[in-house]
Amino acid sequence: MPISFKELSYVYDLGMPYAHKALDDINLDIQEGKITAVIGETGSGKSTLVEHLNALLLPTSGRLEILDHEIVANQKHRFLKQLRKEVGLVFQFSEHQLFEETIIKDVMFGPKNFGFTEEECKKKAVEALKLVGIGPEYYEISPLELSGGQKRRVAIAGILAINPQVIVLDEPTAGLDPVGGKEIINLFIGLNKKLNKTIIIVTHDNEMVYNYCDNTIVLAKGKVEYSGLTLDLFNNKELVDKLKLLEPQIVSLKNELRENGFKVSDNIRTINEVVEEISRQVR
Amino acid sequence: MSFIEVKNVSFSYSETNNAIDDVSFNIEKGTYTTIIGHNGSGKSTIAKLIAGLLTPKAGEIFIEGVKVCEENMPTIRKKLGIVFQNPDNQFIGSTVKDDIAFGLENRRVEPSKMDDIILEYASKVGLTGLLDKEPQNMSGGQKQRVAIAGVLAMQPNVIIFDEATSMLDPKARKEIKTFMYDLSKNPDFTIVSITHDIEEVLQSEECIVLNNGKLFMQDKPENVFKHPEELRKINLDIPFIELVKEAFAKKKIKVNADNIEGVVKQLCQYRSKN
Repeated sequence: MPISFKELSYVYDLGMPYAHKALDDINLDIQEGKITAVIGETGSGKSTLVEHLNALLLPTSGRLEILDHEIVANQKHRFLKQLRKEVGLVFQFSEHQLFEETIIKDVMFGPKNFGFTEEECKKKAVEALKLVGIGPEYYEISPLELSGGQKRRVAIAGILAINPQVIVLDEPTAGLDPVGGKEIINLFIGLNKKLNKTIIIVTHDNEMVYNYCDNTIVLAKGKVEYSGLTLDLFNNKELVDKLKLLEPQIVSLKNELRENGFKVSDNIRTINEVVEEISRQVR
Repeated sequence: MSFIEVKNVSFSYSETNNAIDDVSFNIEKGTYTTIIGHNGSGKSTIAKLIAGLLTPKAGEIFIEGVKVCEENMPTIRKKLGIVFQNPDNQFIGSTVKDDIAFGLENRRVEPSKMDDIILEYASKVGLTGLLDKEPQNMSGGQKQRVAIAGVLAMQPNVIIFDEATSMLDPKARKEIKTFMYDLSKNPDFTIVSITHDIEEVLQSEECIVLNNGKLFMQDKPENVFKHPEELRKINLDIPFIELVKEAFAKKKIKVNADNIEGVVKQLCQYRSKN
């Protein structure tokens, strides 16, 4: 069953003179078990949209169906704590939230809040840290001693320790150097492919979106401009121009090759795949 | 004498290891230099040292022959302006106009002249119609342009951009990068830009690569990227076009153009030969 936004709107500071409608009548489905990107300019409503997924924000009107729950505007819900166990949200610059003395304690904090015993928490934290590639030699040191990329992986481990089915990452690679960024990308691809987690990523990195994300949602001024397959979006030059998106460079290369009479398949995403196809045509 | 001279500079935040370790390089007048390196390589630290915001533990830095040190700071500040990473952290005035005026007031510019100067620099960065707006309510790209106008109005010779585009969305980033490029065509300005953005490096004239606090390389960008294996070893990104060339080279197809159109043109030539 998909995650489904139905006629959902959200207004910041409702009833105030400076009330601001951040989401405007959103209707969209997010498929489970896929990697979905949410893109759009700053202020388009990306963060507001994903903060509904674990009920951090509740709709001003409309409703949201997620997993076995339904969140309806202006109703009280008893399942929100359960929902927050099933949907993990990793904030922008999540490493700023690390606060415990040691890495292992920091990652145990999440499960502790959900009432697990000390022993269970430790076991969950160890598993989560293993997933993000942080070894036992780091458990007892302070998170502050890590590099930027490592810190962010510890912050993500804090969410993974509660074993959510849906993982939402808000600009997970922002501010990291390229290698730190790749580590994070490989991490969420692994979570999707090996553990079948539903991954939702807010990002500005259209190259990454084209390479790795199955589906893409484009927001502009609080409205959905596109929701569907990533390849269908970026392979459609007219649509890319109309939505004023930055074309991924790999798409520019594919388009330029096509214009010069080369055959390039629609469904290839990486430099190596393109080079493989082209090298057969120049020999 | 070079415009900026960094001579055997070391600096450390803690007692154990040096964030900057015996680094020396020169930057010539009127050039556009990018400084790259992985997180923790020391690139922001070296920018702060040049700006006099940090004091070296050893070594010396000179700007136009003037040593960067506490007693020379009034002179250095006249020569140098900085645009920081986070556009939200650098506003003082409540409107764009006030914000640009702030620096001028500190410089004791006559109030009668101020309006003209503000208008001149606001128009340089394309903010003419927005002088009475509050910076807080502007987009990220606009905010960075306000910050740049404020710096330009002080008429510095050197402008340091400390990851000035890293918190912007792709549109705003492109806008500011284009602006920096245009600015670099003016020989009166020496631009030093700390960046992660490999595409920005390609538009600069000179590139300094730092690794673990040491100078790793200083060369023209096209030469720096001739060594993708070296760069990978020190956790740096490789520009898209270099990755394409590298992938073709593995297939024994040699392409050496600097952009997508050029590469495709060469491929067309290979195709027609066969």
